[in-house]
Amino acid sequence: MMRTTHISIGLLVLYAIYLVRLICILPFFLKQRQDDSPLRLNSKRKGQLKVFVFLGSGGHTGEMLRLLENYSDLLLANSNTLFVGYSDTQSRAAFAQLAKKTDLKCRIEFYEFIKAREVNSSYFSSFVTIVRTLVDSCFKALSISLRFYSSPHLVLLNGPGTCCVLALWFKLFEWVNLFQSRSNIVYVESLARITSLSLSGKLLYWLADSFVVQWKELQIAKPRAEYYGILV
Amino acid sequence: MKTLLVTCGATVSFPKLICSVISAPFIGELKSDGFERLIVQFGKDYREEFAGKLDNELFIEVECSISTAELGTVNTPVSRTLMASHFEIIGIDFSSKIQHVIKEHADLVISHAGTGSILDSLRLAKPLIICVNDDLMNNHQQQIADKFESYGYVWACSAKPKDLLRCLTRSRSEVLKPFQATRSDAFEGRLKFLAFS
Repeated sequence: MMRTTHISIGLLVLYAIYLVRLICILPFFLKQRQDDSPLRLNSKRKGQLKVFVFLGSGGHTGEMLRLLENYSDLLLANSNTLFVGYSDTQSRAAFAQLAKKTDLKCRIEFYEFIKAREVNSSYFSSFVTIVRTLVDSCFKALSISLRFYSSPHLVLLNGPGTCCVLALWFKLFEWVNLFQSRSNIVYVESLARITSLSLSGKLLYWLADSFVVQWKELQIAKPRAEYYGILV
Repeated sequence: MKTLLVTCGATVSFPKLICSVISAPFIGELKSDGFERLIVQFGKDYREEFAGKLDNELFIEVECSISTAELGTVNTPVSRTLMASHFEIIGIDFSSKIQHVIKEHADLVISHAGTGSILDSLRLAKPLIICVNDDLMNNHQQQIADKFESYGYVWACSAKPKDLLRCLTRSRSEVLKPFQATRSDAFEGRLKFLAFS
């Protein structure tokens, strides 16, 4: 009887801890801080920056590569480690071109993911591929998550379906592992979205630590969104 | 060699735009405007159709005036010249050096309303006509085209030949506003804050 009570109390404490943890990691519970400037930067975490980027296909890849190029001083510094997720060979080839163009010297690791959803695909086929993507991406996301441990890190996402699955895994690992720091998911909504969010945007609005839009109209419509002008 | 570049994007082809730019009235207007070359980046899985549209008595197959390497394409370009004059049409499915092609060869660009293609031309300060593909699912292209046109950065129209001709006429007399490239220190600061705090 006593033992059962101890187990119950233990489970209750664990439940409470994870509930508090959930509240702590879900960004919409936190005060939005768009005004954090480099001048106010209080670097608690030292070391080399590790960045995970996901290249979708076509326009998404183009925007992500321009983002990397525009902010290469920070994101592509020689001491950084860059984890590049991709779901088609064309995206990887496009990244190789950027690497050549910018004479990239940082460490790069590639991760191939299954596409979560093809353009114009039916709901059923989308569901099947999303389940496959969930399983495939779980281990890869866990591997990247463990590599982030106690290092400065960023997860940069910008819209293809697979990035929702990845964000979900990163947040889940952050929640389960009590000693893991914030996953630092930065979602940059596509420049093509002016008045409404994409499906990925609607989902990641609740998960991303920093949710960035590129048109003022969207920021007005979405209170959590941050706006810095056209970034790509 | 005065050149018009038409880009349909890497993923989905844009048959309406392609048909309009290789139509006789449009080519006639280009020639009267001093253009001597038309480069069409027609997109995925459209090579046979594109070549088929040019396989008639008006065109002769010729060697491409720009090398495959410079065009940044793996496949041999479709290259034709107009029988009665020095007007060349080059067709490529995809270019890995599209920015180079725009910078070095294009005097005017007609693009689908994909943000990547738009920004490539604007950043290279090339006059740009945006053509909206209204066949696409969830058409954000119209919004994008309207937005950029409202800032005076581009001319926007549909893929109909008369609309394209109207924009071509406008491009002779009107001057577009230069696009201001943006790089946000505040955004970089936000990234640093997230990563290091």
